[in-house]
Amino acid sequence: MATMAIYRRRRRMLHHGILIALQLLLVIIVMLPFLWMFSVSIKPANEPFSIPPRLWPENPTLDNYESALYPEFGRYFLNSVIVSVLTMILSISVGLLAAYGFGRFNFPGLRALLIAIILAQMFPIATMIIPLYKIMNSLGLINTYAALVLAYLTLTLPVSIWMLRGFIRNIPPDLEEAAMVDGCTRLQAFWRLVVPLARPGIAATAVWIAVVTWQEFLFALAFTTTRDMRTISVGMSDFQGQFGIRYGELMASSVMVSVPIIVLFFFLQRYFVAGLTAGATKG
Amino acid sequence: MKKLLVLVLAAALVLPVFSLSAIAQEVVTIEFWDNQQSESGLSQYQQAAVEEFEAANPNIKVNVVTVPYTEYQDRLVIAVRGGTPPDVSTVDQIWNYGFATGGAIIPLDDYIAQSEILSQDTFFPGAWDSAAFDGQVWGIPFNIDVWQFTFYNADLLEAAGVDPESLTTWEGLKAAGEALTNVGEGQYGVGLFGHLGEDTVVVMNSFVYSNGGSVLNEDGSCALDQPEAMEALEYLVSLLPYAPEGAANAGSGDMRELFLNGSLAMEWWPALEQPTLLGSDLNWDFVVGTAPEGKTPVGTLGGWNLVIYEQSQHQDEAWQFIEFLTSKDINGKVVDLIPANIEAAEAFLAEERVGPDRILDHLNNARPRPLSPEYLQVSTIEQEMMQALFTGTSVEDAVANACEQINALLEE
Amino acid sequence: MTSTQQTQRLDTVGSRPRRYSPSSDLRLALLFIVPAVVLVAILMYYPMGRAFQESLYTTPKTSWLSVDPSQVYVGLEHYTNLVNDDVFKQVLGNSLKWTVTVVLFQNLIGLAAAVLLDQKLPGRGIMRALVLLPWVLPGVVNAILWRFMYDPQLGLINSLLIGAGITADKTPWLAQPSTALWALIVAAIWKGFPFSTVMYLAALQGVDHEQLEAAHIDGANGAQRFRHITIPAISGIIRLNLLLTTIWTFNYFDLIWVTTRGGPLKSTHIFPTIIYNTGFGEFGNFGKAAAYGVIAVLVLLVFAVLYLRELRRSEVL
Repeated sequence: MATMAIYRRRRRMLHHGILIALQLLLVIIVMLPFLWMFSVSIKPANEPFSIPPRLWPENPTLDNYESALYPEFGRYFLNSVIVSVLTMILSISVGLLAAYGFGRFNFPGLRALLIAIILAQMFPIATMIIPLYKIMNSLGLINTYAALVLAYLTLTLPVSIWMLRGFIRNIPPDLEEAAMVDGCTRLQAFWRLVVPLARPGIAATAVWIAVVTWQEFLFALAFTTTRDMRTISVGMSDFQGQFGIRYGELMASSVMVSVPIIVLFFFLQRYFVAGLTAGATKG
Repeated sequence: MKKLLVLVLAAALVLPVFSLSAIAQEVVTIEFWDNQQSESGLSQYQQAAVEEFEAANPNIKVNVVTVPYTEYQDRLVIAVRGGTPPDVSTVDQIWNYGFATGGAIIPLDDYIAQSEILSQDTFFPGAWDSAAFDGQVWGIPFNIDVWQFTFYNADLLEAAGVDPESLTTWEGLKAAGEALTNVGEGQYGVGLFGHLGEDTVVVMNSFVYSNGGSVLNEDGSCALDQPEAMEALEYLVSLLPYAPEGAANAGSGDMRELFLNGSLAMEWWPALEQPTLLGSDLNWDFVVGTAPEGKTPVGTLGGWNLVIYEQSQHQDEAWQFIEFLTSKDINGKVVDLIPANIEAAEAFLAEERVGPDRILDHLNNARPRPLSPEYLQVSTIEQEMMQALFTGTSVEDAVANACEQINALLEE
Repeated sequence: MTSTQQTQRLDTVGSRPRRYSPSSDLRLALLFIVPAVVLVAILMYYPMGRAFQESLYTTPKTSWLSVDPSQVYVGLEHYTNLVNDDVFKQVLGNSLKWTVTVVLFQNLIGLAAAVLLDQKLPGRGIMRALVLLPWVLPGVVNAILWRFMYDPQLGLINSLLIGAGITADKTPWLAQPSTALWALIVAAIWKGFPFSTVMYLAALQGVDHEQLEAAHIDGANGAQRFRHITIPAISGIIRLNLLLTTIWTFNYFDLIWVTTRGGPLKSTHIFPTIIYNTGFGEFGNFGKAAAYGVIAVLVLLVFAVLYLRELRRSEVL
C-alpha cells in the first residue's frame, strides 16, 4: 500500500510538472512579442536595430516615452475614454432592454428578429462606411463623439444583446412575477429586480465593449476630422509617415495605449469570467 | 406661453448675428487639409504661417486639419463622397488627375490669369505639368522632390574599395553591390523594395526613364514592353542577390533601419531622407541617380499640389490662401519636401539640404509619373509587377501580364 | 450557477426546455426591443441596403467623386464580372483558407489553454491574466508589432528560428506568396485565441464536478471524461464561439492591411481588404466594392446558417 501511495504521489508530481511546464510555454509564447515591444520602446532613437535583434537595448532610455507624450496624446487618450464609456452606457442600456424583451417574451417573429440582429454583425465595415458617413453628416454629427458612439454601436450592440440575454435567462422569472403580483409594473420589476441581478453580466459586457472600442480604427478615422476629436488608435498614426515608421516612439505609445486597457482587464477579468459563466453556460 | 418662449429664444439667437455683420465685414472660415508627415515637426511652422495669413487677411480664418499620411487618400475620398470636403487641400500629384475628372475639384485657370503673385514660371516645370491636363490647370504645385538619389555608407564603400562615382552607372552600381554584399554576415549591397506602395513605383520608373523608356505611351497604352523598359527591369532583377531578403514586402522605410545599422551599403531615397540621416552617426553621402554608361540619370518626380474643391463655398478665399502658401517667402517654411516655388526652393535647399546644386540638377532633369485619370490602377499594376519580378517571375511574363491589365484599363 | 439549475439544464438536454412562462403582452415586448431594433435598422441594415443598391449601379469616371454622382443602372453586371474574375476566385479562396484555419486553431488552442488554466496549479491567477493580453492589445499595434516580428533581418522570429537551428536562412515570411498568408494566420491566432480561452474557461466552470468524479470512480480516464462529459456540457459555448469567431475572422482587416495590404501578388487579400482597396484605393470603383461586400455577406451567411441550426439544436437560441 505504501509503495502504491508513493507511486501515485510521484505520478501526480510528474503530472503537475508537465502541466506547469506547458503553462510556462504558453505564457512565454504570449509574452515574447510584448517583451520585444517594450524593448524597442526603451531603445534610444540613435541606437540602430541590431542583427540579430536583442531583447534588451544597450542603453535603455525613457526618451521615447517622453516624446510620445506630446500634448495631443493626452487629448487622444481622453477622447478614447469618453467614447468608450459613452458607448458602454448606451450599448448596455439599449442592450439590457432588448435582452429582457428577447429573453422573457415569446412571440412569433421575435426569434427571427434576434437572429437578424446577430447576423447584422456580418456586414463588412468597409462597405457600410460611406452610407454611414452620409447619415452622420445629415444629422450634423461628423467630428463629434456622438458619431463615434453611434458607429461603435454597430460593433457592440448585437453582441451586447446576445450576452445580456444569456444572463437574463438565468434569472428565475418567479421573482418578477411575485413582484408584479405585489403591484409592481413590468418596468419596475425589470428595473428593481432584473437589472441588479444582471450586474455580473453587465460588468462582463462592459469589459468586452471597452476592449472593442479602445481598438477601433476605421470609424474613428472616418468620422472625426480635427485632431482634438481623434481617438488614441488613430493618433498612433502620428508616428507613421509616408516612408517609414518611428518605431521607438510608436512602441512607447503602444505600451502606453495598451497599459490602461490591460490594467482595467486585469482588475475586471474575474467579473468578466464570472459574468460569462453565469450567462454563457446556459445551453 | 411656449410659443412666446420660442420667439424670444429665436430672437436672442438671431439678433447678435445681424448686429455683428452690420458692424464688421463677415468673417469667412476656410478648411485646409494636409497630410501629416511624421518625419518633421512641420505642423508648428504651418500654424505660424496660418497665423501670419490670418493677420494679413482679417476676414479669413483658416482651420487646419492634418490627416495621417497612410489614410489621407481614403479620408479625402470619404469626405468628398460624403459631401463634406475641405475648401482647399494638398493632394498627391498622382491623385490630381483623378480628382479633376471625378468632379471633386475646379480648374484654376481664371484665378491664375488674374493673379499678381503667381504664374506658371514661378514653379518647377515638372511640378506644374503634374496639374496641367485636358487643357486646364487643376492645382498649384506646393512641394516637390525627386526619386532617387543613391545614398551610400561612405565607410563601407571605402573599406570595400568602391569609388562612389562608379555608382552612377548601371555597371558600376552592380559591381559595387557585389563587392559590398556578404549575405552570411548580414551585409547587403543595395536595398531593393517592392511592397505595395508608391516608393516601389518611383524607383522602378526612374530606372526605366534613365534607359530612355516609358511606362505609358502617348495614347495611354502600356510601354513597359518596349526594350528600354524591359532592360531596366532585367537590370533591377539582376540586383536581387545583393539585396536584403524579402524585397517583395519591403518598403524604403524598412531599408532605412538596415542602412542606419550599417548592414546596408546603398539605398535609394529622395532628398527628404537627408534630415533623418543627418540625425544619425553615419558617415554618408549621395550620388545623383544611376543610368547605363553614356546616358544621363533621369529621376521620377513626386510631390503635392494644392487644389480647390467644387463644393467649397469660399473658393476665392481658398485661392488667396493658395497664393500665400506658395509664395516665395512662405513656401519654404511650410513644406518638408522641396518647395515647388523655384525661388523658395533655392533658398530652402541652400539652408536645409546637403549638395543643393546636385539636387537641383537632378530635379530639373526628372520626369513625372504618367498623367492619367486611372493612374492609381496603373500604379497598383506596376507594384504587383515588381512583386512578381522579386518573387521569381520572368521579366517577359511579368511585363506581358502587366501590359495586358494596363491596356484593359484603356478599353473600359 | 447553482447545482439545481445545473441538473435542470442537464435534464433538458435533447428535449425542449421548460419555457419561462413568457408574458403575452406584445406591446410591452415591443417597448423593450424597439430601441435596439431601430438602432440596428438605421445603423446597420440601412447602410447595407444602400451598399446593395450601389452594387447595382456603376459610377462614370466623370463623376465618381461628386456628392451626387450620375449613376448608371447595370443590374447584376458587377456580380457576373466578379464571378468570372480570377482575382475574385483568389480572394474567395484566401478568405476560406484564412477563416477556417484561424477559427479552427484559435478554438483548439483556446480550449487547450482553458483546460490548462483550469487546473489547480500555483500562480493560476497571474497566468490567466497574462495569457489574455494579446486579445486586449489594440489591433493596429498588433499588426505593426507582427510586421516587425516577421522582418527578415531585424525580426525576432527569424533570429529565434535560426538560433534554434530550425531554419538556416533568413526567411522573408511576408514577402513570399507561398508563406505570407500562413504567417498572418499565425499572428491572427496569437491575437485571437485568448478570447476563446476566456469563453471556454467560463464554460468549464459550469461543468458538473460530481459527474466527473463519478466517472472517475467508474474508471473513465481523463480523455474519456473530457470527451463524454466536458465536451457535451460546453458544446453550446463551443458553437457560439465558433459563430462569433467566424464572423470576426472573416471580417478581419487591420492585421492584413498594415502588414501586406493584401500582397504579395494578392496572396493575402481577403474580402475586407479587397473591398477597402477597391472602394478607396482605386478612386471610386464603388459599385464593384459594394458587390464584393454583398458577396462577402452571402458567403458568411452560409456559415452562419449552419451554426444557427446547431445553436438552435443546443437550445442556446
